[in-house]
Amino acid sequence: MAARTRLPLLFPKNLPPFRHRKLVHTEVAVKEPQYPPIVPSRTAKSKSALLRQVQEHVQKICASPVEEKLSLITRIQRKKFMVYPQTFARNADRWYQHFTKTAYIPGLPEKFTQAPLKTTGVDQSPPAAARTTTALEIDDDAFRDIRSLVTRVILQEHWHINQRKTFLFREQEMVVGPFLRNLVTELTHSLSRFNPLLRLCSLDINPQVNFYWRRGQRIIPKGHRKGRQEPIRFQIDDKPNSQIRITQQLPQFTPMEASYAAEVPEITLAPNLMPMFRRQYDNNIFTGAKLPDPACYGHTQFHLVPDQYQRDRMARRQQSDQVEVFLRANALASLFAWTGAQAMYQGFWTFEDVTRPFASQAVITDGHFFSFFCYQLNTVALSVETDANNPRKNLLWGTESLRLYDNVQDGEVVGLNDDVIKLLVSFLMNQP
Amino acid sequence: MPVTRLLYPLYQLGNPQLRIFRPKWFLTMVRPGTELPPDTAQFRVPMEMTKYDIKNYLENIYNVPVGAVRTRIQYGSNKKRNHLNQKVKKPDYKVAYVQLAQGQVFTFPDIFPEKESKPEEGSVEEMQNNFMEDEKQRQKPDPRRGGVTEWFGL
Repeated sequence: MAARTRLPLLFPKNLPPFRHRKLVHTEVAVKEPQYPPIVPSRTAKSKSALLRQVQEHVQKICASPVEEKLSLITRIQRKKFMVYPQTFARNADRWYQHFTKTAYIPGLPEKFTQAPLKTTGVDQSPPAAARTTTALEIDDDAFRDIRSLVTRVILQEHWHINQRKTFLFREQEMVVGPFLRNLVTELTHSLSRFNPLLRLCSLDINPQVNFYWRRGQRIIPKGHRKGRQEPIRFQIDDKPNSQIRITQQLPQFTPMEASYAAEVPEITLAPNLMPMFRRQYDNNIFTGAKLPDPACYGHTQFHLVPDQYQRDRMARRQQSDQVEVFLRANALASLFAWTGAQAMYQGFWTFEDVTRPFASQAVITDGHFFSFFCYQLNTVALSVETDANNPRKNLLWGTESLRLYDNVQDGEVVGLNDDVIKLLVSFLMNQP
Repeated sequence: MPVTRLLYPLYQLGNPQLRIFRPKWFLTMVRPGTELPPDTAQFRVPMEMTKYDIKNYLENIYNVPVGAVRTRIQYGSNKKRNHLNQKVKKPDYKVAYVQLAQGQVFTFPDIFPEKESKPEEGSVEEMQNNFMEDEKQRQKPDPRRGGVTEWFGL
Protein backbone atom coordinates (compact mmCIF):
# COMPACT_ATOMS: atom_id res chain seq x y z
CA MET A 1 0.00 0.00 0.00
CA ALA A 2 1.43 3.34 -0.93
CA ALA A 3 0.24 5.06 2.24
CA ARG A 4 1.76 2.45 4.52
CA THR A 5 5.27 2.46 3.08
CA ARG A 6 7.62 5.07 4.27
CA LEU A 7 9.54 6.19 1.28
CA PRO A 8 12.43 8.67 1.49
CA LEU A 9 11.92 12.14 0.06
CA LEU A 10 14.36 11.61 -2.68
CA PHE A 11 13.08 8.40 -4.16
CA PRO A 12 15.93 6.97 -6.19
CA LYS A 13 14.99 5.86 -9.63
CA ASN A 14 17.16 2.89 -9.70
CA LEU A 15 16.73 1.22 -6.45
CA PRO A 16 19.86 -0.61 -5.48
CA PRO A 17 19.18 -4.28 -5.43
CA PHE A 18 19.44 -6.40 -2.36
CA ARG A 19 18.49 -3.61 -0.02
CA HIS A 20 17.09 -5.84 2.61
CA ARG A 21 19.41 -8.60 3.44
CA LYS A 22 16.73 -10.63 5.00
CA LEU A 23 14.99 -10.97 1.63
CA VAL A 24 18.13 -12.40 0.06
CA HIS A 25 19.05 -16.05 0.19
CA THR A 26 22.62 -15.78 1.28
CA GLU A 27 23.00 -19.48 1.89
CA VAL A 28 22.70 -22.20 -0.66
CA ALA A 29 19.20 -23.28 -1.55
CA VAL A 30 17.90 -25.48 1.21
CA LYS A 31 17.70 -29.12 0.10
CA GLU A 32 14.44 -30.98 -0.15
CA PRO A 33 13.67 -32.69 3.15
CA GLN A 34 14.76 -36.33 3.06
CA TYR A 35 11.88 -38.55 3.98
CA PRO A 36 12.54 -42.23 4.72
CA PRO A 37 11.59 -44.60 1.86
CA ILE A 38 7.96 -45.59 1.71
CA VAL A 39 7.85 -49.32 2.32
CA PRO A 40 5.00 -51.57 3.33
CA SER A 41 4.58 -52.33 6.97
CA ARG A 42 6.43 -55.19 8.54
CA THR A 43 3.93 -56.39 11.09
CA ALA A 44 0.57 -55.83 9.39
CA LYS A 45 -1.61 -58.76 8.40
CA SER A 46 -1.22 -58.19 4.68
CA LYS A 47 0.47 -59.79 1.70
CA SER A 48 2.86 -56.89 1.23
CA ALA A 49 3.94 -57.16 4.86
CA LEU A 50 4.69 -60.83 4.30
CA LEU A 51 6.68 -60.01 1.18
CA ARG A 52 8.64 -57.42 3.08
CA GLN A 53 9.41 -59.90 5.84
CA VAL A 54 10.64 -62.42 3.29
CA GLN A 55 12.79 -59.78 1.58
CA GLU A 56 14.32 -58.69 4.84
CA HIS A 57 15.08 -62.28 5.76
CA VAL A 58 16.76 -62.80 2.38
CA GLN A 59 18.83 -59.62 2.81
CA LYS A 60 19.80 -60.71 6.30
CA ILE A 61 21.05 -64.04 4.95
CA CYS A 62 22.94 -62.36 2.10
CA ALA A 63 24.70 -60.04 4.50
CA SER A 64 25.89 -62.67 6.97
CA PRO A 65 29.11 -64.76 6.81
CA VAL A 66 29.06 -68.26 5.38
CA GLU A 67 28.56 -70.23 8.58
CA GLU A 68 25.64 -68.10 9.62
CA LYS A 69 24.23 -68.32 6.13
CA LEU A 70 24.24 -72.08 6.26
CA SER A 71 22.70 -72.18 9.69
CA LEU A 72 19.99 -69.67 8.75
CA ILE A 73 19.09 -71.58 5.59
CA THR A 74 18.92 -74.96 7.30
CA ARG A 75 17.42 -73.74 10.56
CA ILE A 76 13.75 -74.51 10.24
CA GLN A 77 12.80 -78.17 10.00
CA ARG A 78 9.84 -79.10 7.86
CA LYS A 79 8.64 -82.18 6.03
CA LYS A 80 10.84 -82.80 3.01
CA PHE A 81 11.37 -85.42 0.36
CA MET A 82 14.34 -87.71 0.89
CA VAL A 83 16.16 -88.19 -2.39
CA TYR A 84 18.13 -91.42 -2.32
CA PRO A 85 20.87 -91.54 -4.94
CA GLN A 86 20.63 -95.35 -5.05
CA THR A 87 16.91 -95.67 -5.49
CA PHE A 88 14.72 -98.60 -6.44
CA ALA A 89 12.24 -96.41 -8.34
CA ARG A 90 11.91 -96.93 -12.07
CA ASN A 91 12.97 -94.20 -14.52
CA ALA A 92 14.43 -92.31 -11.60
CA ASP A 93 16.90 -90.38 -13.73
CA ARG A 94 14.16 -88.36 -15.47
CA TRP A 95 12.61 -87.41 -12.15
CA TYR A 96 15.98 -86.47 -10.65
CA GLN A 97 16.83 -84.39 -13.70
CA HIS A 98 13.66 -82.42 -13.13
CA PHE A 99 14.33 -81.91 -9.42
CA THR A 100 17.89 -80.71 -9.95
CA LYS A 101 17.42 -78.94 -13.31
CA THR A 102 20.06 -81.06 -14.99
CA ALA A 103 20.44 -81.95 -18.63
CA TYR A 104 22.03 -85.28 -19.50
CA ILE A 105 24.60 -85.41 -22.30
CA PRO A 106 25.72 -88.90 -23.33
CA GLY A 107 29.48 -89.32 -23.64
CA LEU A 108 32.16 -87.37 -21.86
CA PRO A 109 33.10 -83.68 -22.29
CA GLU A 110 35.66 -82.71 -24.93
CA LYS A 111 38.46 -82.72 -22.43
CA PHE A 112 38.31 -86.51 -22.18
CA THR A 113 37.33 -87.33 -25.76
CA GLN A 114 39.85 -85.01 -27.41
CA ALA A 115 42.77 -86.47 -25.53
CA PRO A 116 41.87 -90.06 -26.28
CA LEU A 117 44.00 -91.59 -23.59
CA LYS A 118 47.18 -91.56 -25.59
CA THR A 119 50.41 -92.05 -23.78
CA THR A 120 53.61 -91.29 -25.63
CA GLY A 121 54.72 -94.30 -27.61
CA VAL A 122 51.72 -96.56 -27.22
CA ASP A 123 50.15 -97.39 -30.54
CA GLN A 124 46.42 -97.18 -30.53
CA SER A 125 43.80 -98.28 -33.04
CA PRO A 126 44.16 -97.00 -36.66
CA PRO A 127 41.55 -94.23 -36.87
CA ALA A 128 43.88 -91.87 -35.08
CA ALA A 129 43.81 -89.41 -37.96
CA ALA A 130 40.31 -88.37 -37.01
CA ARG A 131 41.23 -87.76 -33.39
CA THR A 132 43.51 -84.99 -32.23
CA THR A 133 46.14 -86.68 -30.14
CA THR A 134 47.41 -84.78 -27.18
CA ALA A 135 49.60 -86.89 -25.03
CA LEU A 136 48.73 -87.60 -21.43
CA GLU A 137 51.19 -86.20 -19.00
CA ILE A 138 52.35 -89.63 -17.91
CA ASP A 139 54.82 -91.65 -19.87
CA ASP A 140 54.80 -95.24 -20.97
CA ASP A 141 56.69 -96.67 -18.01
CA ALA A 142 54.38 -94.98 -15.57
CA PHE A 143 51.39 -96.38 -17.43
CA ARG A 144 52.82 -99.86 -17.27
CA ASP A 145 53.37 -99.38 -13.56
CA ILE A 146 49.79 -98.36 -13.16
CA ARG A 147 48.59 -101.33 -15.16
CA SER A 148 50.54 -103.70 -12.94
CA LEU A 149 49.18 -101.89 -9.91
CA VAL A 150 45.63 -102.47 -11.08
CA THR A 151 46.28 -106.16 -11.74
CA ARG A 152 47.86 -106.46 -8.31
CA VAL A 153 44.81 -104.94 -6.63
CA ILE A 154 42.43 -107.18 -8.57
CA LEU A 155 44.41 -110.30 -7.80
CA GLN A 156 44.76 -109.37 -4.13
CA GLU A 157 41.03 -109.16 -3.71
CA HIS A 158 39.91 -112.04 -5.88
CA TRP A 159 42.77 -114.50 -5.86
CA HIS A 160 45.16 -114.17 -2.98
CA ILE A 161 42.65 -113.69 -0.21
CA ASN A 162 41.17 -116.95 0.96
CA GLN A 163 37.63 -115.80 1.13
CA ARG A 164 34.82 -117.71 2.71
CA LYS A 165 31.36 -117.62 1.26
CA THR A 166 30.01 -114.08 1.70
CA PHE A 167 26.80 -113.33 3.55
CA LEU A 168 23.64 -113.06 1.54
CA PHE A 169 23.40 -109.72 -0.29
CA ARG A 170 26.61 -108.47 1.25
CA GLU A 171 29.00 -109.50 -1.46
CA GLN A 172 29.52 -106.02 -2.82
CA GLU A 173 30.18 -104.58 0.57
CA MET A 174 32.60 -107.34 1.57
CA VAL A 175 34.50 -107.95 -1.65
CA VAL A 176 34.18 -105.01 -3.99
CA GLY A 177 34.30 -102.34 -1.30
CA PRO A 178 37.86 -103.11 -0.18
CA PHE A 179 38.91 -103.60 -3.81
CA LEU A 180 37.70 -100.14 -4.77
CA ARG A 181 39.22 -98.58 -1.69
CA ASN A 182 42.63 -100.12 -2.38
CA LEU A 183 42.44 -99.12 -6.02
CA VAL A 184 41.65 -95.53 -5.22
CA THR A 185 44.29 -95.11 -2.56
CA GLU A 186 47.03 -96.73 -4.60
CA LEU A 187 46.18 -94.85 -7.79
CA THR A 188 46.02 -91.53 -5.97
CA HIS A 189 49.38 -92.14 -4.39
CA SER A 190 51.10 -93.19 -7.60
CA LEU A 191 49.62 -90.36 -9.66
CA SER A 192 50.51 -87.71 -7.13
CA ARG A 193 53.89 -87.56 -8.88
CA PHE A 194 52.24 -86.15 -11.97
CA ASN A 195 49.35 -84.25 -10.54
CA PRO A 196 50.41 -81.64 -7.96
CA LEU A 197 46.82 -81.30 -6.79
CA LEU A 198 46.82 -84.86 -5.51
CA ARG A 199 49.72 -84.12 -3.22
CA LEU A 200 47.58 -81.70 -1.24
CA CYS A 201 44.36 -83.58 -1.60
CA SER A 202 42.21 -85.14 1.07
CA LEU A 203 41.07 -88.70 0.42
CA ASP A 204 37.95 -89.59 2.41
CA ILE A 205 36.89 -93.18 3.05
CA ASN A 206 33.13 -93.66 3.59
CA PRO A 207 32.40 -89.96 3.83
CA GLN A 208 29.00 -88.38 4.17
CA VAL A 209 27.62 -85.87 1.69
CA ASN A 210 24.39 -84.01 2.40
CA PHE A 211 22.50 -81.30 0.58
CA TYR A 212 19.21 -79.51 1.17
CA TRP A 213 17.36 -77.46 -1.45
CA ARG A 214 13.91 -76.29 -2.49
CA ARG A 215 12.34 -76.57 -5.93
CA GLY A 216 8.83 -76.05 -7.15
CA GLN A 217 5.66 -75.33 -5.25
CA ARG A 218 2.58 -77.21 -4.24
CA ILE A 219 -0.76 -76.30 -2.78
CA ILE A 220 -1.24 -77.64 0.73
CA PRO A 221 -4.25 -80.00 0.52
CA LYS A 222 -5.26 -80.26 4.15
CA GLY A 223 -4.69 -78.64 7.49
CA HIS A 224 -4.87 -75.14 8.85
CA ARG A 225 -2.72 -73.89 5.98
CA LYS A 226 -4.95 -75.41 3.33
CA GLY A 227 -4.95 -73.73 -0.05
CA ARG A 228 -1.65 -71.89 0.39
CA GLN A 229 1.48 -72.33 -1.68
CA GLU A 230 4.36 -74.18 -0.12
CA PRO A 231 7.82 -74.85 -1.59
CA ILE A 232 8.77 -78.50 -2.06
CA ARG A 233 11.88 -79.34 -0.03
CA PHE A 234 14.42 -82.06 -0.84
CA GLN A 235 17.34 -83.56 1.00
CA ILE A 236 20.06 -85.88 -0.27
CA ASP A 237 22.02 -87.98 2.22
CA ASP A 238 24.70 -89.82 0.33
CA LYS A 239 27.51 -92.14 1.43
CA PRO A 240 30.00 -92.69 -1.41
CA ASN A 241 32.67 -95.34 -1.05
CA SER A 242 35.46 -92.77 -1.25
CA GLN A 243 36.08 -89.28 -2.53
CA ILE A 244 38.97 -86.95 -3.28
CA ARG A 245 38.76 -83.33 -2.21
CA ILE A 246 41.27 -80.73 -3.45
CA THR A 247 42.32 -77.21 -2.54
CA GLN A 248 41.76 -75.64 -5.95
CA GLN A 249 38.68 -75.75 -8.09
CA LEU A 250 38.51 -77.91 -11.20
CA PRO A 251 38.18 -75.91 -14.44
CA GLN A 252 34.81 -75.85 -16.14
CA PHE A 253 34.02 -78.43 -18.80
CA THR A 254 32.01 -76.02 -20.96
CA PRO A 255 31.16 -72.31 -20.53
CA MET A 256 27.96 -71.59 -18.69
CA GLU A 257 26.25 -70.15 -21.75
CA ALA A 258 26.47 -73.49 -23.50
CA SER A 259 23.96 -74.88 -21.03
CA TYR A 260 21.21 -72.48 -22.07
CA ALA A 261 20.27 -74.68 -25.00
CA ALA A 262 20.19 -77.92 -23.05
CA GLU A 263 16.89 -79.65 -22.38
CA VAL A 264 15.66 -80.63 -18.96
CA PRO A 265 12.66 -83.00 -18.76
CA GLU A 266 9.62 -81.33 -17.20
CA ILE A 267 7.46 -83.44 -14.93
CA THR A 268 4.23 -81.92 -13.66
CA LEU A 269 3.33 -84.74 -11.26
CA ALA A 270 4.06 -84.62 -7.56
CA PRO A 271 7.27 -86.32 -6.40
CA ASN A 272 5.49 -88.86 -4.18
CA LEU A 273 4.31 -90.70 -7.30
CA MET A 274 7.89 -91.64 -8.03
CA PRO A 275 7.71 -93.13 -5.25
CA MET A 276 9.50 -90.77 -2.91
CA PHE A 277 8.76 -90.30 0.78
CA ARG A 278 8.66 -87.32 3.10
CA ARG A 279 10.12 -87.05 6.54
CA GLN A 280 11.15 -84.27 8.87
CA TYR A 281 14.64 -84.27 10.29
CA ASP A 282 17.79 -82.17 10.41
CA ASN A 283 18.59 -80.19 7.28
CA ASN A 284 22.26 -80.82 6.56
CA ILE A 285 24.63 -79.36 3.99
CA PHE A 286 27.97 -81.14 4.08
CA THR A 287 30.67 -81.81 1.47
CA GLY A 288 32.58 -84.39 3.48
CA ALA A 289 34.50 -81.97 5.66
CA LYS A 290 33.48 -79.04 7.81
CA LEU A 291 33.62 -75.45 6.65
CA PRO A 292 37.16 -74.32 7.64
CA ASP A 293 38.78 -77.23 5.75
CA PRO A 294 41.12 -75.91 3.00
CA ALA A 295 40.28 -78.81 0.69
CA CYS A 296 36.78 -77.55 0.06
CA TYR A 297 36.50 -78.25 -3.67
CA GLY A 298 35.65 -81.66 -5.02
CA HIS A 299 37.59 -83.74 -7.51
CA THR A 300 36.28 -87.30 -7.83
CA GLN A 301 33.82 -89.54 -6.05
CA PHE A 302 33.77 -93.31 -6.18
CA HIS A 303 30.51 -95.17 -5.70
CA LEU A 304 29.64 -98.79 -5.26
CA VAL A 305 26.59 -100.41 -6.84
CA PRO A 306 24.55 -102.12 -4.10
CA ASP A 307 23.68 -105.79 -4.19
CA GLN A 308 20.08 -105.21 -5.19
CA TYR A 309 21.29 -103.75 -8.46
CA GLN A 310 23.76 -106.26 -9.72
CA ARG A 311 23.47 -106.91 -13.39
CA ASP A 312 22.64 -110.59 -13.29
CA ARG A 313 19.90 -110.01 -10.74
CA MET A 314 18.33 -107.37 -12.95
CA ALA A 315 18.71 -109.59 -16.00
CA ARG A 316 16.86 -112.39 -14.24
CA ARG A 317 13.96 -110.04 -13.71
CA GLN A 318 14.12 -108.77 -17.32
CA GLN A 319 14.93 -105.26 -16.20
CA SER A 320 18.31 -104.78 -17.83
CA ASP A 321 17.40 -101.35 -19.17
CA GLN A 322 17.03 -100.09 -15.61
CA VAL A 323 20.73 -100.72 -14.90
CA GLU A 324 21.92 -97.67 -16.86
CA VAL A 325 19.02 -95.64 -15.52
CA PHE A 326 20.04 -96.50 -11.97
CA LEU A 327 23.66 -95.54 -12.57
CA ARG A 328 22.70 -92.24 -14.12
CA ALA A 329 20.31 -91.40 -11.30
CA ASN A 330 22.96 -92.27 -8.74
CA ALA A 331 25.61 -90.09 -10.38
CA LEU A 332 23.17 -87.24 -10.84
CA ALA A 333 21.99 -87.12 -7.26
CA SER A 334 25.42 -87.66 -5.68
CA LEU A 335 27.25 -85.15 -7.82
CA PHE A 336 24.52 -82.55 -7.56
CA ALA A 337 24.63 -82.86 -3.78
CA TRP A 338 28.41 -82.61 -3.71
CA THR A 339 28.76 -79.63 -6.08
CA GLY A 340 25.81 -77.90 -4.45
CA ALA A 341 27.37 -78.29 -1.03
CA GLN A 342 30.69 -76.98 -2.39
CA ALA A 343 28.89 -73.92 -3.77
CA MET A 344 27.09 -73.36 -0.47
CA TYR A 345 30.41 -73.52 1.35
CA GLN A 346 31.59 -70.65 -0.85
CA GLY A 347 28.55 -68.62 0.08
CA PHE A 348 26.35 -69.11 -3.01
CA TRP A 349 22.74 -69.99 -2.38
CA THR A 350 19.33 -69.69 -4.04
CA PHE A 351 19.23 -65.90 -4.05
CA GLU A 352 22.93 -65.47 -4.77
CA ASP A 353 23.59 -67.64 -7.77
CA VAL A 354 27.02 -69.09 -8.55
CA THR A 355 29.35 -66.80 -10.50
CA ARG A 356 31.61 -69.60 -11.68
CA PRO A 357 30.65 -73.19 -12.52
CA PHE A 358 31.58 -75.95 -10.08
CA ALA A 359 32.80 -79.17 -11.69
CA SER A 360 33.22 -82.64 -10.24
CA GLN A 361 33.61 -86.20 -11.42
CA ALA A 362 32.35 -89.59 -10.32
CA VAL A 363 33.07 -93.23 -11.05
CA ILE A 364 30.41 -95.82 -10.29
CA THR A 365 31.37 -99.45 -10.30
CA ASP A 366 30.20 -102.86 -9.26
CA GLY A 367 33.60 -104.51 -9.44
CA HIS A 368 33.59 -105.43 -13.15
CA PHE A 369 31.84 -102.55 -14.88
CA PHE A 370 32.96 -98.96 -14.53
CA SER A 371 30.88 -95.92 -15.51
CA PHE A 372 32.36 -92.45 -15.63
CA PHE A 373 30.37 -89.27 -15.02
CA CYS A 374 31.20 -85.55 -15.08
CA TYR A 375 28.97 -82.90 -13.58
CA GLN A 376 28.98 -79.15 -13.93
CA LEU A 377 26.89 -77.06 -11.58
CA ASN A 378 25.87 -73.79 -13.28
CA THR A 379 23.05 -72.71 -11.05
CA VAL A 380 21.87 -73.19 -7.48
CA ALA A 381 18.86 -70.93 -7.95
CA LEU A 382 16.20 -73.60 -8.13
CA SER A 383 13.35 -72.19 -6.03
CA VAL A 384 10.26 -70.72 -7.67
CA GLU A 385 11.15 -67.03 -7.40
CA THR A 386 14.68 -67.35 -8.71
CA ASP A 387 14.01 -70.00 -11.34
CA ALA A 388 11.49 -67.92 -13.31
CA ASN A 389 14.06 -66.19 -15.52
CA ASN A 390 17.00 -68.47 -15.06
CA PRO A 391 18.22 -69.86 -18.40
CA ARG A 392 21.14 -71.74 -16.85
CA LYS A 393 20.98 -75.48 -16.44
CA ASN A 394 23.26 -77.98 -14.78
CA LEU A 395 24.96 -80.56 -16.98
CA LEU A 396 25.74 -84.22 -16.51
CA TRP A 397 27.98 -86.14 -18.89
CA GLY A 398 28.10 -89.91 -18.61
CA THR A 399 29.35 -93.03 -20.31
CA GLU A 400 27.86 -96.45 -20.63
CA SER A 401 29.34 -99.16 -18.43
CA LEU A 402 32.74 -100.35 -19.55
CA ARG A 403 34.19 -103.67 -18.53
CA LEU A 404 37.49 -103.52 -16.70
CA TYR A 405 38.46 -107.18 -16.81
CA ASP A 406 36.77 -110.42 -17.77
CA ASN A 407 37.72 -112.71 -14.95
CA VAL A 408 40.57 -113.98 -12.83
CA GLN A 409 42.06 -117.36 -13.71
CA ASP A 410 45.03 -119.11 -12.13
CA GLY A 411 46.54 -115.99 -10.68
CA GLU A 412 46.15 -114.06 -13.94
CA VAL A 413 43.73 -111.33 -14.82
CA VAL A 414 42.14 -112.15 -18.18
CA GLY A 415 41.00 -109.45 -20.55
CA LEU A 416 42.21 -106.33 -18.78
CA ASN A 417 40.81 -103.31 -20.64
CA ASP A 418 43.40 -100.59 -21.17
CA ASP A 419 40.90 -97.94 -22.17
CA VAL A 420 39.18 -98.06 -18.85
CA ILE A 421 42.47 -97.71 -17.00
CA LYS A 422 43.38 -94.76 -19.19
CA LEU A 423 40.03 -93.11 -18.53
CA LEU A 424 40.54 -93.63 -14.81
CA VAL A 425 43.99 -92.12 -15.02
CA SER A 426 42.81 -89.14 -17.04
CA PHE A 427 40.01 -88.59 -14.55
CA LEU A 428 42.46 -88.51 -11.69
CA MET A 429 44.90 -86.36 -13.62
CA ASN A 430 42.31 -83.66 -14.20
CA GLN A 431 43.80 -80.39 -12.98
CA PRO A 432 43.45 -76.67 -13.73
CA MET B 1 -19.12 -124.49 9.78
CA PRO B 2 -16.69 -123.30 12.44
CA VAL B 3 -14.27 -120.52 11.55
CA THR B 4 -10.90 -122.07 10.66
CA ARG B 5 -7.66 -120.33 10.03
CA LEU B 6 -6.66 -120.31 6.41
CA LEU B 7 -3.03 -121.31 6.00
CA TYR B 8 -1.30 -121.17 2.68
CA PRO B 9 0.86 -124.19 1.80
CA LEU B 10 3.97 -123.20 3.74
CA TYR B 11 7.19 -123.24 1.74
CA GLN B 12 10.28 -124.88 3.20
CA LEU B 13 13.72 -125.23 1.61
CA GLY B 14 13.61 -128.13 -0.82
CA ASN B 15 9.86 -127.98 -1.52
CA PRO B 16 8.78 -127.84 -5.14
CA GLN B 17 7.98 -124.45 -6.60
CA LEU B 18 4.56 -123.21 -5.56
CA ARG B 19 2.31 -123.01 -8.57
CA ILE B 20 -1.30 -121.96 -8.86
CA PHE B 21 -3.36 -123.06 -11.85
CA ARG B 22 -6.68 -121.41 -12.63
CA PRO B 23 -6.59 -118.94 -9.76
CA LYS B 24 -9.81 -117.78 -8.19
CA TRP B 25 -8.63 -114.18 -8.18
CA PHE B 26 -9.93 -111.47 -10.46
CA LEU B 27 -8.34 -108.10 -11.04
CA THR B 28 -10.32 -104.97 -11.78
CA MET B 29 -8.66 -102.14 -13.62
CA VAL B 30 -9.92 -98.74 -12.47
CA ARG B 31 -9.48 -95.17 -13.58
CA PRO B 32 -7.06 -93.47 -11.21
CA GLY B 33 -8.54 -90.75 -9.03
CA THR B 34 -5.43 -88.55 -9.19
CA GLU B 35 -3.02 -88.09 -12.03
CA LEU B 36 -0.53 -90.99 -12.27
CA PRO B 37 2.71 -91.25 -14.29
CA PRO B 38 2.06 -92.48 -17.84
CA ASP B 39 3.52 -95.95 -17.31
CA THR B 40 1.34 -96.76 -14.28
CA ALA B 41 -1.99 -98.59 -14.21
CA GLN B 42 -4.26 -98.91 -11.18
CA PHE B 43 -6.02 -102.14 -10.20
CA ARG B 44 -8.35 -103.30 -7.46
CA VAL B 45 -7.13 -106.69 -6.41
CA PRO B 46 -8.34 -109.23 -3.85
CA MET B 47 -6.91 -108.82 -0.39
CA GLU B 48 -5.06 -112.12 -0.41
CA MET B 49 -2.91 -111.27 -3.43
CA THR B 50 0.68 -110.18 -2.90
CA LYS B 51 2.93 -108.11 -5.13
CA TYR B 52 4.57 -111.22 -6.54
CA ASP B 53 1.14 -112.76 -7.17
CA ILE B 54 0.02 -109.71 -9.12
CA LYS B 55 3.22 -109.66 -11.14
CA ASN B 56 3.03 -113.33 -12.06
CA TYR B 57 -0.71 -113.06 -12.77
CA LEU B 58 -0.30 -110.21 -15.24
CA GLU B 59 2.79 -111.61 -16.89
CA ASN B 60 1.57 -115.17 -17.35
CA ILE B 61 -2.11 -114.71 -18.09
CA TYR B 62 -2.14 -111.39 -19.90
CA ASN B 63 1.47 -111.20 -21.20
CA VAL B 64 1.92 -107.73 -19.73
CA PRO B 65 5.57 -106.86 -18.93
CA VAL B 66 5.48 -105.67 -15.34
CA GLY B 67 8.27 -103.50 -13.91
CA ALA B 68 7.22 -102.80 -10.35
CA VAL B 69 4.10 -103.29 -8.25
CA ARG B 70 3.14 -101.30 -5.18
CA THR B 71 0.06 -102.13 -3.14
CA ARG B 72 -1.96 -100.53 -0.41
CA ILE B 73 -5.15 -101.45 1.43
CA GLN B 74 -7.97 -98.95 1.28
CA TYR B 75 -10.10 -98.92 4.40
CA GLY B 76 -13.83 -98.77 3.67
CA SER B 77 -15.60 -96.50 6.12
CA ASN B 78 -17.77 -97.81 8.93
CA LYS B 79 -19.35 -94.47 9.69
CA LYS B 80 -22.57 -94.52 7.70
CA ARG B 81 -25.66 -95.65 9.46
CA ASN B 82 -28.78 -97.18 7.99
CA HIS B 83 -32.39 -96.50 8.86
CA LEU B 84 -32.05 -98.68 11.96
CA ASN B 85 -29.08 -96.57 13.14
CA GLN B 86 -26.76 -99.53 12.68
CA LYS B 87 -23.32 -98.90 11.33
CA VAL B 88 -22.89 -100.01 7.74
CA LYS B 89 -19.42 -101.04 6.71
CA LYS B 90 -18.17 -100.41 3.20
CA PRO B 91 -15.85 -103.29 2.36
CA ASP B 92 -12.08 -102.82 2.37
CA TYR B 93 -10.16 -103.45 -0.82
CA LYS B 94 -6.58 -103.62 -1.97
CA VAL B 95 -5.28 -101.24 -4.64
CA ALA B 96 -2.25 -102.09 -6.76
CA TYR B 97 -0.23 -99.59 -8.79
CA VAL B 98 1.54 -101.46 -11.55
CA GLN B 99 4.42 -99.84 -13.42
CA LEU B 100 4.91 -101.29 -16.87
CA ALA B 101 8.34 -102.31 -18.12
CA GLN B 102 10.01 -101.82 -21.49
CA GLY B 103 8.95 -98.20 -21.72
CA GLN B 104 5.30 -99.00 -22.32
CA VAL B 105 2.71 -96.33 -21.70
CA PHE B 106 -0.92 -96.70 -20.71
CA THR B 107 -3.80 -94.26 -20.37
CA PHE B 108 -7.18 -95.26 -19.09
CA PRO B 109 -9.63 -95.08 -22.02
CA ASP B 110 -12.82 -93.05 -22.06
CA ILE B 111 -15.53 -95.65 -21.54
CA PHE B 112 -18.51 -93.32 -21.73
CA PRO B 113 -17.91 -90.93 -24.62
CA GLU B 114 -20.34 -88.10 -25.32
CA LYS B 115 -22.69 -89.13 -28.08
CA GLU B 116 -24.09 -86.58 -30.52
CA SER B 117 -27.46 -88.20 -31.19
CA LYS B 118 -29.69 -86.58 -33.74
CA PRO B 119 -33.36 -87.63 -33.54
CA GLU B 120 -34.66 -89.15 -36.75
CA GLU B 121 -36.82 -87.23 -39.21
CA GLY B 122 -40.53 -86.81 -38.41
CA SER B 123 -40.25 -88.19 -34.90
CA VAL B 124 -41.70 -86.75 -31.72
CA GLU B 125 -38.27 -85.85 -30.24
CA GLU B 126 -37.34 -83.77 -33.23
CA MET B 127 -40.58 -81.78 -33.08
CA GLN B 128 -40.09 -81.24 -29.35
CA ASN B 129 -36.50 -80.07 -29.88
CA ASN B 130 -37.58 -77.62 -32.57
CA PHE B 131 -40.38 -76.30 -30.33
CA MET B 132 -37.97 -75.78 -27.43
CA GLU B 133 -35.51 -73.97 -29.66
CA ASP B 134 -38.28 -71.65 -30.93
CA GLU B 135 -39.34 -70.84 -27.38
CA LYS B 136 -35.76 -70.02 -26.39
CA GLN B 137 -35.43 -67.84 -29.45
CA ARG B 138 -38.55 -65.98 -28.44
CA GLN B 139 -37.23 -65.29 -24.93
CA LYS B 140 -34.02 -63.64 -26.20
CA PRO B 141 -34.05 -59.83 -26.45
CA ASP B 142 -34.07 -58.00 -29.76
CA PRO B 143 -30.58 -58.31 -31.28
CA ARG B 144 -30.98 -54.98 -33.04
CA ARG B 145 -30.82 -53.22 -29.65
CA GLY B 146 -27.20 -54.33 -29.26
CA GLY B 147 -27.39 -55.72 -25.72
CA VAL B 148 -29.20 -52.71 -24.23
CA THR B 149 -32.13 -53.85 -22.06
CA GLU B 150 -35.76 -52.80 -22.43
CA TRP B 151 -35.52 -50.77 -19.21
CA PHE B 152 -33.90 -47.97 -21.20
CA GLY B 153 -36.97 -46.83 -23.11
CA LEU B 154 -36.53 -46.22 -26.85
